[in-house]
Amino acid sequence: MVDNKKRLYWILQISVWGAYAGIQVVFSILASGQAISFKRTAFFISEAALFFMATHLFRLYVKRRNWLRLRVPKLIPRVLLASGLMGLMVYVLRIPISLITGRATVIETAFSPDQIAGLSAIYMLFFFLWATFYFTYHFIEQYNKSLKYEAYMTSIELNNLKSQLNPHFIFNALNSIRALVDENPQKSKQAINQLSNILRNSLTFEKKGLTKFEDELKIVKDYLSLESVRFEERLKTDFNIHPQSANFRVPPLMIQTLVENGVKHGISKLTAGGVIHVKTTVENNRLKIQIRNSGQLVNGVRKNKGIGIANTIQRLKLLYGDQASFRMVNENNNFVLTEIVIPQTLVTT
Amino acid sequence: MKALIVDDERLARKELMKLLEDHPSIEVVGEAANADEAIAMVNELNPDLLFLDIQMPGKTGFQLLEELDSVPLVVFTTAYDEFALKAFEVSALDYLLKPIQAERLSETVSKIMERERTKVNVARGEGDKKLGLNDQVFVKDGERCWFVSLSNIRLFESDGNYIKVYFDTNRPMIHKSLNALDEKLDERAFFRASRKHIINLSWVEGIEPWFNGGLMVKLKGGDKVEVSRRQAAKFKDMMSL
Repeated sequence: MVDNKKRLYWILQISVWGAYAGIQVVFSILASGQAISFKRTAFFISEAALFFMATHLFRLYVKRRNWLRLRVPKLIPRVLLASGLMGLMVYVLRIPISLITGRATVIETAFSPDQIAGLSAIYMLFFFLWATFYFTYHFIEQYNKSLKYEAYMTSIELNNLKSQLNPHFIFNALNSIRALVDENPQKSKQAINQLSNILRNSLTFEKKGLTKFEDELKIVKDYLSLESVRFEERLKTDFNIHPQSANFRVPPLMIQTLVENGVKHGISKLTAGGVIHVKTTVENNRLKIQIRNSGQLVNGVRKNKGIGIANTIQRLKLLYGDQASFRMVNENNNFVLTEIVIPQTLVTT
Repeated sequence: MKALIVDDERLARKELMKLLEDHPSIEVVGEAANADEAIAMVNELNPDLLFLDIQMPGKTGFQLLEELDSVPLVVFTTAYDEFALKAFEVSALDYLLKPIQAERLSETVSKIMERERTKVNVARGEGDKKLGLNDQVFVKDGERCWFVSLSNIRLFESDGNYIKVYFDTNRPMIHKSLNALDEKLDERAFFRASRKHIINLSWVEGIEPWFNGGLMVKLKGGDKVEVSRRQAAKFKDMMSL
């Protein structure tokens, strides 16, 4: 990508100023009606080289001063001034070249104000056109880039939303609650609160932030308690939380997503139901979260690794680089183990 | 009419029972919590209607239907299952989304009653478990599935361990043996033409003599099936009353 842009720059630069020299030569031949002298040709080529160098130096300067970041109202006066200065510079540098290539007469008119102003203005126009093209190209490119980035971010957000607001879970929960209203009004009220907690969390979910471990644990418990309403005796839960876990901050809804996976792909597939076991340990300033669910991965992997798992791995990588780890295995014939290990501090890059 | 509710969640079953209280025409004769329970109950209670959850532990609702010889009317109940419902858009009687709304259920019940009224009334003796033209079967082929009335099936063709089922322009395969199927079909409606074929007699359009004393039967729609010599005499008997 960068190499392509560099190559494009050089190709344009050489062809534009090469064409400039070429046109001068052709016009000179047409005007005089005879072959052009070697010295005259050398003059035109040297003049084009001057333009080439001036614009190249200008580009270096633009890059160093970060002019590409400037807004148009600030940019225009700067570009005008720079074009003027370059025009003048080329005018001055052109004089010795004229002398060397045998146009001694130039010296007499070279310092007349009319001549200076006239030619410099023409040169300035060249530079201004060059700059217009240069900046336009970069503005369009930046605009495209930001569009692409935006589309990328939107797709990530959409994926997150899809994986968080699992409609199957929500509608099943609502259905159970509806039946519970008659059977156990107290419990149904509690279930409604738990469901609204989960929904609120999903909606205010932010990708980059971290949340207190305890807040996340509460969501996990709310979630499991709702699923217990639905699965009744088929879902048993067990928590084994290390007291120092509270010192950690965790990516929001990450543990919940993994627990939900365990219920969806484990418990709900078993006629007799099973257990979800959540365990945390703290070692060397690292928090290890282990989620075990009854069930088995097919061939050691979940058949189609869901958006949830893919997102989890991606999020861990974005947040912690190589400092965090994730694995999901058949621990034995009855349990699937999902494990994440996260450090206490974020990678700051 | 007799209905069976199949759902792995007790509360979901309870909720549907409660909603059905308003519809005396539907009598719930049983509840099943999984596919195996349901299959046993269908064979025992012979319900006219199934309220069937798709996502269940063990076997799904689809697998359950595939295992039934004759499929009653089916109303699917599901919380959210876009994909599965799509497969059924054409041929399912109806489906209900959980939580089920009372008005929506009323519509479903009227649909069921309408279907009952238009059904051709053929006297069927109690205990006569043979599959007749009024019965429907469930056929699944890859991601497509159909409820097919046996009256629409013109031909069964054995193909290895499978049977090719001919109806409309479809030829899905079911995993069954032709002999087992033959025993279940009503012999007044279906005829075992040969080792490879069972034909629906109501689809027969023409009969020609064939080599070795056999017959060639032409079915409506253009399929031609050879009747073996052994079966030809029997076939002639049946067709000539």
